Amino acid sequence: MTQTATEPTTTGDGQRVLVVDNLVRRFGDLTAVDDVSFTVAAGETYGLLGPNGAGKTTTISMIAGLLEPDQGSVTLLGQQMGPKKAAPKRHLGLVPQDLAIYPDLSARENLNFFGKLQGLAGGELKSRVGEVLELTGLTDRAKGPTKDFSGGMKRRLNIGIGLLHKPTMLILDEPTVGVDPQSRNAILESVEALSDEGMAVIYTTHYMEEAERLCDRIGIIDSGTLQAEGTRDELIRLTGGVDNIQLTGSGDTAAAAEALLALDSVAQADAERGHLQLTVHDAPTAVAQIVTTATASGLQLSDVQISRPNLESVFLHLTGKALRD
Amino acid sequence: MRAALAIAGVELLRFVKDKGNIFFTFIFPLILVFVLGSQFGGSGNSGRVTISGPDSELRTAVTEQLEDDEVSVQFADHDAMLEQVARGRTDVGLVIDQDSVAAFDNGSATELELIAGNASTSMAAQQRVQVAVGNLDLRQVQVNALEGAGVSADDAAQALEGAAGQASAPTLEVTSVDQLSQEFQGLGQFDLGASSQLLLFTFLTSLAGSSTLINARRQGVMGRTLASPVSTLQAIAGQSLGRWVIAFFQGGYIMLATWLLFGVDWGNIALSLLVLAVFAIVAAGAAMVLGSVLDNEGAAVGAGVGLGLVLAAIGGGMMPLEIFPETMRTIAHVTPHAWGYDAFAEIQRSNGNLIDILPMLGVLVAMAVGVLLLGTWLLRRSLARSL
Repeated sequence: MTQTATEPTTTGDGQRVLVVDNLVRRFGDLTAVDDVSFTVAAGETYGLLGPNGAGKTTTISMIAGLLEPDQGSVTLLGQQMGPKKAAPKRHLGLVPQDLAIYPDLSARENLNFFGKLQGLAGGELKSRVGEVLELTGLTDRAKGPTKDFSGGMKRRLNIGIGLLHKPTMLILDEPTVGVDPQSRNAILESVEALSDEGMAVIYTTHYMEEAERLCDRIGIIDSGTLQAEGTRDELIRLTGGVDNIQLTGSGDTAAAAEALLALDSVAQADAERGHLQLTVHDAPTAVAQIVTTATASGLQLSDVQISRPNLESVFLHLTGKALRD
Repeated sequence: MRAALAIAGVELLRFVKDKGNIFFTFIFPLILVFVLGSQFGGSGNSGRVTISGPDSELRTAVTEQLEDDEVSVQFADHDAMLEQVARGRTDVGLVIDQDSVAAFDNGSATELELIAGNASTSMAAQQRVQVAVGNLDLRQVQVNALEGAGVSADDAAQALEGAAGQASAPTLEVTSVDQLSQEFQGLGQFDLGASSQLLLFTFLTSLAGSSTLINARRQGVMGRTLASPVSTLQAIAGQSLGRWVIAFFQGGYIMLATWLLFGVDWGNIALSLLVLAVFAIVAAGAAMVLGSVLDNEGAAVGAGVGLGLVLAAIGGGMMPLEIFPETMRTIAHVTPHAWGYDAFAEIQRSNGNLIDILPMLGVLVAMAVGVLLLGTWLLRRSLARSL
């Protein structure tokens, strides 16, 4: 009898499916992961956002029980994870960044193989393979070698393998790298659907927009350290919660800046040649009054641009560098 | 165990699905067995005889006698026959001149000239020629005696045919005084090539197949495997088992195909399969070592083929160990091929039993344990590096 991950014996620490506690991993002199802690609850999508080399994959490897941490621990459904712990791995689905599939085998053969590794057999295996092929839209191509698949199809199969045994926790390590926009959207939609079904998801990415769209909570990681974590809004508040408005036009920008600073919503106004750079509270509400005041002070406006802080701004604020590949 | 079997199964599936393996696994070994059999065993134990002389009843009768004794007979003029003997292309030259033809036709005693070669098989061929010619003489004397007693020539010939059919002809086993010939005593034409090519290709294919291990490691399949409820030891056991199954499968195929196509006698089949099974473990372990120390698939294929050929050359997979100088023969036994060769030789040529091949099996088992332990340690290390 195969124990499936959809029947957890315990939820461990309350609603928490995963508890990552003070993880440290060193490679020689390099500390790849330094004191990283976070939790993930059922139905929650937790994003690990950071540039390449930030320590995301090393963290994931320790969570998936592939690497032994030098310090700290990972607990999945109350069970300690590690390279020698087979039982809790039944509750985990890993979708690695690499296309971890056999290119010379068909989609069905790949699914059959990885299903057997998860302990599936007989009718249950056959039925789950069929369901996953359907879910990933690969039923029609189930028999062809995967080396003939498009990049998007390979990615879908890569994800499907992680879902075969209906894990309680799914880890997706940069699943959209090298994927066309259409396939990327399909992948993001399926992650949203899995989360809605109650699956706990860890999603690592260096694409800010993916993290903003998918993740209930986000951990920002850089140089192996978790710089901050929280919901999108909580993280943005770390930047001070202010928006930027740039006014472009002709006239006396210095006089306009002085007039605008008198408004409650404007925290800062810097006049440059032909531009006014404003730091404001709640830009959408304040913008009408700002335009009226600037025009009244003699500035003839040709352009108004509003920029609200995003995770990129948060990353910049926290690390002093841009979030990029 | 189920996980290890699943891993082994997928390795075998990948091997079978790779069309590139078809030629080297299924076709090429048989071609080489055929070529080697034709070159080294073309004469079998019965020899080759070249006859010079006119087409006559005598020549026909001698030829029939020799061919009945499975001697290969060809005709040439006198000079060509001499050259063939000198160059070792034939074991014995037989000269039939006009006088002999006439004497045979008259029922008189015939005298033929035999020119012996220097090949190790020449002695056996000479004896077969002497027996054949002796039979002819005897038959001619018998016919003459019957005709002298008033029996017609046709009735005499018929009576002698009938008498020959009722009697079991005594067989003569020729034991060569040549030590090298004695070594190959009991071998069929393709037997030697079949066992040596089995060892060569089983090991070579296994080593070249180490590239799939590198592929699985580099593509993250091994990582994904270990993220499943599968221990490192189970994963390594699966990889080893998969490689062993492939090696044993190919060896078994060569045994079956050479038996069916060339009539190769593998002796006690259970013992031969046992030798193959243990040799295949060594091959699987060696493939694990190669697949763990190298990180490039192309390099693994190249190194696998190169190493496979060199080890086979040293260990008797290309030339019979018996013709190696003593020092080289000693060196050959650092390879598993030489021990496998010795074991097959014992089974095929001397009807050896389990006790006879125990020393060879013991060394092969020790080698298998050594390379498997080394392969396991190296693969664990390379997996830790790649994760």
